[in-house]
Amino acid sequence: MEQPPESGSGSGLVFEEAEKIILRWDSTASEEAREKMIFDCDRDEVNRYLQAVDEIQRSMSTASISSTSEDQKSNNKVNNSATIQIAMARLEDEFRNILLIHTTPIEADSLTDPSSSYSFHSTDESLDESLSFGETFDARVKQQQEDEEQQREGISADSSSFSHSSYRSTSCIREIDLIPEEAINDLQCIAGRMISAGYLRECIQVYGSVRKSAVDASFRRLGIEKLSIGDIQRLEWDALETKIRRWIRAAKICIRILFASEKKLCEQIFEGIGTAIDDACFMETIKGPAIQLFNFAEAISISRRSPEKLFKILDLHDALMDLIPDIEVVFDSKSSDSIRVQAAEILSRLAEAVRGILSEFENAVLREPSRVPVPGGTIHPLTRYVMNYISLISDYKQTLIELIVSKPSAGSRYSGDPTTPDMDFAELEARTPLALHLIWIIVILQFNLDGKSKHYKDASISNLFMMNNVHYIVQKVKGSPELREMIGDDYLRKLTGQFRQAATSYQRATWVKVLYCLRDEGLHVSGSFSSGVSKSALRERFKTFNAMFEEVHRTEATWLVPDSQLREELRISISEKLIPAYRSFLGRFRSHIESGKHPENYIKYSVEDLEDAVLDFFEGYPVSQHLRRRSQ
Amino acid sequence: MPLPANEYQGSFLGRISIRRNQVISMDGNHEQEMEDLELFQKHVADRFVDLVSPAEDTASAEPLLSIAWLRRLLDTFLCCESQFKALLIMGRDPSHVVKPPLDRLIPELLERSVKSLDICNAVCNGIESVRHCQKLAEIVVSALEQRPMGDGQVKRAKKALSALVLAMAADDKEGNHKTPERTWSFGRRVGNKDRGEGNFRSLSWAVAKNWSASKQIQAMTNNLVAPRGGEPTGLALPVYIMSAVMVFVMWALVAAIPCQERTGLATHFPVPRQLGWAQNMIGLQEKIGEEWKKKEKKGSAGLLEEMQRMEKLGQSLIDFTESFSFPGEAEKLEEVAMQVGELADICQKMEVGLMPLQQQIREVFHRVVRSRTEVLEILEHSGKVPSPIM
Repeated sequence: MEQPPESGSGSGLVFEEAEKIILRWDSTASEEAREKMIFDCDRDEVNRYLQAVDEIQRSMSTASISSTSEDQKSNNKVNNSATIQIAMARLEDEFRNILLIHTTPIEADSLTDPSSSYSFHSTDESLDESLSFGETFDARVKQQQEDEEQQREGISADSSSFSHSSYRSTSCIREIDLIPEEAINDLQCIAGRMISAGYLRECIQVYGSVRKSAVDASFRRLGIEKLSIGDIQRLEWDALETKIRRWIRAAKICIRILFASEKKLCEQIFEGIGTAIDDACFMETIKGPAIQLFNFAEAISISRRSPEKLFKILDLHDALMDLIPDIEVVFDSKSSDSIRVQAAEILSRLAEAVRGILSEFENAVLREPSRVPVPGGTIHPLTRYVMNYISLISDYKQTLIELIVSKPSAGSRYSGDPTTPDMDFAELEARTPLALHLIWIIVILQFNLDGKSKHYKDASISNLFMMNNVHYIVQKVKGSPELREMIGDDYLRKLTGQFRQAATSYQRATWVKVLYCLRDEGLHVSGSFSSGVSKSALRERFKTFNAMFEEVHRTEATWLVPDSQLREELRISISEKLIPAYRSFLGRFRSHIESGKHPENYIKYSVEDLEDAVLDFFEGYPVSQHLRRRSQ
Repeated sequence: MPLPANEYQGSFLGRISIRRNQVISMDGNHEQEMEDLELFQKHVADRFVDLVSPAEDTASAEPLLSIAWLRRLLDTFLCCESQFKALLIMGRDPSHVVKPPLDRLIPELLERSVKSLDICNAVCNGIESVRHCQKLAEIVVSALEQRPMGDGQVKRAKKALSALVLAMAADDKEGNHKTPERTWSFGRRVGNKDRGEGNFRSLSWAVAKNWSASKQIQAMTNNLVAPRGGEPTGLALPVYIMSAVMVFVMWALVAAIPCQERTGLATHFPVPRQLGWAQNMIGLQEKIGEEWKKKEKKGSAGLLEEMQRMEKLGQSLIDFTESFSFPGEAEKLEEVAMQVGELADICQKMEVGLMPLQQQIREVFHRVVRSRTEVLEILEHSGKVPSPIM
């Protein structure tokens, strides 16, 4: 073979040989070329082809120093460019083929760490029941009327646990090898040549389209859905909660593993060719999917606000916040600005949503309109819901302290608005805004309960109701160290004073009139021979006392004080006033009755009978009409 | 008086304490209301004058539905929206939003807002396919700029042109975008290693499966009814105006940019001709509608002016590449050089303009979200909670 003067390379491949090789593999020209892939052949074949390409390239760049004429030069250039085009078209196909062979979507299961960590929060009533305000509370109260068993077990046992699991499967960036090293070497070889021949754009196109399909397939595997904002607004919150959970898990995998690995792959293949190229390929691959991923979180962040959404949205917020540093690392180039910006925007909207929801919650608590009085004066479902809610809030204290930065908006002192309670925030200057909100929530809860207490016809049960509910509030606060710390012991003392006051008011309302029967005045008649006591008056007293006591007993046995300790204390307090008074009354006046006719009609009960009867109070059960009597 | 678009970024609620239910006497304000209304209509009308392209295409004029024109369209929307919100919220008793007719109209507007958000997302996504065409065109430019023009470069250009023409002729059905990869080396198949080309959807839409742009637009025009004269609160008219503007803007975007499922896109809108402020808008509607009808028959990728020109150039250049043989006629080569120059110019416009266009659409997105949130807050606080299906 003759050696043309231009070829001066020492690679052992002369120009015509190179040209022949390229033409042999021209898939538009030969059937054989179409049937096989170069890179499937043995290594020698591959190397020969690559050297052939190099040779053509070389001759193109050395054409200018040859001694041939301008025309010939021009002709050569044109020929070479034709050959190069054939080579590039071929290499493009080879490139695509290698990528395709090694395209496997990510296996989600193999990526997750089996030892995910969980944290539990238990609540009395599952917030998952997404209680909403208004009618639902009336319905619940009515349900309680039918279901007295539940009332007893009310607060003591944690009937359901609300599990709040956080997936720690992917806690940091972890690149995996998407393509084996050999294949990467091949891809590098091809890419380098395509780019130095000026076929950079084709290279990016091929790369992007194959890898993007792979990412799309991985997305499907991870269960990342394509949902429109309209769809999301229409879904029930329960369904959305599940999706959010799934999204959090998927997003961690996408950003820390999938995208990070794609980035690494680009860097590997286009190593040493310049960062603009590997960046362009990376963007081609993941820009669309990344936006699709974030669109879901964005849709959630703009959804309508309602109280039950708070905690899931906080979860989403925290998860995203956790991801932001990794997002910054993975999307560090100028061309991915928009993605970083979108993530930051979503985070900020989620924060806004949290603030808005808290505000909605406060509003809803204040205006909760249910009017059906809770039977037995026991704890109102609203109280439970609100206290559980704010207990959960205190669990999310870390995040919320950062997010809640302004004081509660309503309720300045002396606002003169009768539908809103007053509260002086000045007293509580040193507290965090979050703590102020929590205190405010308790204030408005009480305010609302106070309004509800007025729906009872009877002052006694009205007070009992307030006592029960405020006591419950106190217990819940005491039961949570974070909550207690935020509410503060001063306020706790104030609340304690309030329920004690209610207890006192209850006692007054019920027992004053009963004990009035046992007073001394009006029984003594002056100038009478028989010991100075009016027997008729005395009989009246006994009869009245019996009737009253029976009435009170019958009624208030069906009332309920769920907290056993409080119940005991109240009974003891009643007994302390009732028993000695009765004992003394009996002691002084029984002889007068017993000396008359049918004493059993008047002295119906012994002291022990009364003591036993008191034990029936506030159990929530009706008792038989007649008290047990001691056998005569 | 008309405020630039970005001045209204801050929340209105930060400035007026709506929660305090400031009740302002309606009597003294009625005149003020009428004046505000007049101003608003004039403002809208003025903005649309700016959008109507002049008869002669001067160098500075932006052709209808070009990238630059779309950006101005979005600016128009933002301005009108600012004014509208001011009208709706400032200095008024917030409880008016729950009284008729607003109690029906506002939720409808909110419904349209949500659809607009989805359209914004779909259009942003669609711009990626425009960008894809740009990249293919850049290959063509790069190839055909080489001198002397040889068979190699022309073949290269032809390959890219085929892909380009195919991409632009694609229909909008979900994920059915034909990609260059389907024309591997002029139809070569990889023997029995056929990797299932059917699964090859590199340009699949990132929107929900059954989402349809044309259906969204259709739904937005439902209940878009001009209020009759003599409405009690006079706010029904601004709501209608804003809704009409919103629908027009979204519709124009969808007509221009390829996005999922635009077959059956409405070309007619129920905006009565006699409304003064709407004249220019109706004129634009008709123009664009006409173009759409023409194009729909041919199944093209969208009315974006730059894409239209690219398509024409692409067809012409493909013919050239198919009939070329080195060295080619001088006259023809000159003509081609001019066309390539024009194509390069289009690519440049896209390179410079597509990103800002996307950013602006995002701005519109944010604004719509913000307004919707604020209106929802007002609805919450006026005590009447609308149905959660929103």
